[in-house]
Amino acid sequence: MAQVIPEVVKFAANNTKEGGDVLGIGIERRIKWAKGIIERGPVDGTIFYAGEMYPVMGYSEGAFKMLKRVEGLMGINDLAKIGPVMKKLGIYTVGVSALWGGINKKYEKALQDAVKVLNGLGIKIGYLFEEEPPSGVALHTYGLLREFKDHATKVYKRFKELGVKRIITPDPIVATVFRLYYPEFVEGWDIEAYHIVEVIARRIAELGLRFDLGRKLKVTYHDPCYLARTLGVVDEVRFILSRIDGVELVEPTRRGVFTACCGGGGLELTQPPVARKVSIERVNELRKTGAELVLTSCPPCILMLRTGFEAIGQKIDVWDLVSLIAMAMDHGIKEGEKVKPEFTRYKVLPKSPGLKTLNIEDIAKVLKMETDRCKKCGFCIVECPTSIALKRLESRSCRGRMTLINSLVGGDPVRPKEVLDRLYTCVLCGRCSQECPAGIHAQELIIYGRAYAIYSESIIKQQEQTSLRR
Amino acid sequence: MPDSLKTMISELSKRIGKEKILTEPEELYAYSLDASTEFKRPPAAVVRASNEEDVKAVLELADKHKVPVVPRGSGTSLSGGAVPAVPHALILDLSMMNRIEVHIDDGYVMAEAGATVLEVDKVCREYGFFFPPDPASSRIATIGGALAENSGGVRGAKFGVMKNWILAMEVILPGGRKLRIGEPVYKWRWGPDLMSLFIGSEGTLGVITKAWLKIYPLPEKVVRILGMFDRIEDAGKAISQIRRRGYVPMALELLDRETIEIVKESLGYSVEVAEGMVIADIDGPRESVWRIAGEVENVMKESGGRTRASDDPKEMEQLYLARQGAYPAVTRAYPAVLLEDITLPLSKLMEGLRELDKMRKEYGLKMPVFGHAGDGNLHPCICFDPRDEEQLRKAREMFVKIGQLSIRLGGAVSGEHGIGLAKKEIFLEEIKAVRGEGYIETARMIKQVLDPNGIMNPGKIFL
Repeated sequence: MAQVIPEVVKFAANNTKEGGDVLGIGIERRIKWAKGIIERGPVDGTIFYAGEMYPVMGYSEGAFKMLKRVEGLMGINDLAKIGPVMKKLGIYTVGVSALWGGINKKYEKALQDAVKVLNGLGIKIGYLFEEEPPSGVALHTYGLLREFKDHATKVYKRFKELGVKRIITPDPIVATVFRLYYPEFVEGWDIEAYHIVEVIARRIAELGLRFDLGRKLKVTYHDPCYLARTLGVVDEVRFILSRIDGVELVEPTRRGVFTACCGGGGLELTQPPVARKVSIERVNELRKTGAELVLTSCPPCILMLRTGFEAIGQKIDVWDLVSLIAMAMDHGIKEGEKVKPEFTRYKVLPKSPGLKTLNIEDIAKVLKMETDRCKKCGFCIVECPTSIALKRLESRSCRGRMTLINSLVGGDPVRPKEVLDRLYTCVLCGRCSQECPAGIHAQELIIYGRAYAIYSESIIKQQEQTSLRR
Repeated sequence: MPDSLKTMISELSKRIGKEKILTEPEELYAYSLDASTEFKRPPAAVVRASNEEDVKAVLELADKHKVPVVPRGSGTSLSGGAVPAVPHALILDLSMMNRIEVHIDDGYVMAEAGATVLEVDKVCREYGFFFPPDPASSRIATIGGALAENSGGVRGAKFGVMKNWILAMEVILPGGRKLRIGEPVYKWRWGPDLMSLFIGSEGTLGVITKAWLKIYPLPEKVVRILGMFDRIEDAGKAISQIRRRGYVPMALELLDRETIEIVKESLGYSVEVAEGMVIADIDGPRESVWRIAGEVENVMKESGGRTRASDDPKEMEQLYLARQGAYPAVTRAYPAVLLEDITLPLSKLMEGLRELDKMRKEYGLKMPVFGHAGDGNLHPCICFDPRDEEQLRKAREMFVKIGQLSIRLGGAVSGEHGIGLAKKEIFLEEIKAVRGEGYIETARMIKQVLDPNGIMNPGKIFL
């Protein structure tokens, strides 16, 4: 794998390519949560897809917390170097399990709640257990697009063999990958993908159901970027909460399609100290709502918000929305008025430029054309979470990243590894793309830029050697 | 990197800490452009100042080692003001100095150079006041940058530009000396007005670090009037008549047919197309605002306009849709845009619009025209494809010709975007035509006194 890639990304990518989760925790622990509660699927072509993050998110949370404690002594890339060594010695899985298996129980419980809610609403689903392939989200996120394409093609083939027609997932990043990126990279992709919230809201509306929490509870909801901004799913959440008696929803200032990043989006893995700063900014805003409980619908969001609240010394818990629904269902389901499910699918992001091929020249052409259109107005910086966290440091703000991509493909004397480092500071929240007056899909360009920095390494090295020989 | 800069950086890092000094190529290239996008040059170093002492240290050592310094707020200059014009320059990034203090009883706000114009406006609004200058970039443009460029905006027709809203400021001069000008009171007299020297000087004389700014009560009510015209001249006539008859709308904006069409096509907005569109915002007390709005509406009708008016926030937003989308639409529709910024006397507005239309036809390039016509400030946008050499040549020629048109009609080559690098030549033409050589000599003498080593933003304007 290219030298420019940080160890932690290599670690995550290799684990994914081997068919595992990002941290390489192992299939046993990844499917543990499902035993005895869900039948082997698909059922009527539908699967509940837990993905490679949610079932093992607690291990990431544990690692993230540990990194804070050892900051200054050891960084994430040092830790990523230790992982493969421990694996070879056969002590990795046992070790991390002993350390963070306890934390992971909370995430396992959320998945169990998700299944309970779907079952309770009569939605038929099955689970693939050890046959569930990872979506390859890490490969896409970190710009390993060629590897992602190969991986996604294999996943599609496997899904077809297993008879999968429809995916329901509690992870909005995975839902985005299946709904938006698979069609771009996999020829003939014809599998529907939904986030669980979409399915639940529709069902509740169709059946006209109401729930009762049995007590008063003031909650706030953190819209995950991928769910609200990328998939445009906002109304469904509010509708579901309006159907649970006892719940009072208090919204934060930045919500819906204007939601703010939790610090995740891959940053928690590549640059944890920056991720931590972003999460603190967000939890402070959520705290101001006065809510007793924070809800969301995304595993990395849960991780980042939980650790964020801990960092500011607030004992506010963060739950997946499905867990609240499951709790309300325990008090019984009531009849309510039936509603025609009409939820707006918000479209706030510009059209993606798309990549015709993954040839380095084609990637460069798209990047040059698109970043040339950037007018440097800086509107993207205002809401850029890493720019805010790093006090407007230009190279790690959206505008600076566009400039650096343009410099890299334009042949300015910038180093791919260093540019990649700055591109990896982006959380891919899409706020920049939403604000851009020129309609540049900066979020996509960051991913393409990562790919260019990775795959151009050999070309640039050749050029350097040629010029040295001259 | 020259030895002088190396020595300076070494001394500077001992004074302010090395973490505030950036020298990696990736950091430098990130600072190689501003919103003019036409000029590109990475600095040799960037210093991110977080307090006045940092600025003093930079200017003291830069002066000692004769290192060029380019002050920068958010880098939104449309004329190349924040891009080094010379090699081996140091960019002084002031965006971290962003403290704001509201002194509502005394009627002012104190803002550090890096605070954004919108943040200043926002804090005032919590107390029922606002900060009137509103450059289109206000959400990111800094107070320091806006003062250095003497920026204006939509509300310029009534409230003018930055220079009209300042009570006092602090400037760090080359060598590191601090200069405090003015007082945060509404009346003061002490000798020559040094403040005006620095406002609009585009960082060529010193670094503005702090400003005490006037604020204004929020209007009780605003009525928005939209006028559609079948001839662009009639729209121009309506604007000059509104001002001629003594009405001072808070905003008085003009859009031509090409602009409206591009907004419609590029953004898909549902807007009526006409040869000219005028938008007027009338503010005032609840009891009288509709009377005045009615009178302004009548002036538009007399000039041949069809009008709609509203004080409902949602409908007002709808009426402003085309203006709101004008620049975004143009940037989406064309690979490159040269954004002009001329100001014309109101009596020459109609003639100017006719001439611009003639130019557009002669060159065969798209050139939507919109702007703050209430103060005569127009933004013709020359749209072209930079990969096409012929188009590029034409666009550059038009840019000069539009500047020359403004001089011929007795206007100014730049209303609010500054001179920087983009308008150096045409500005000299304006000075020679109108003000004479004496102006340049005087300005250069002042520069020599304040900045004898010529370290402040060299190569900008004519300094």
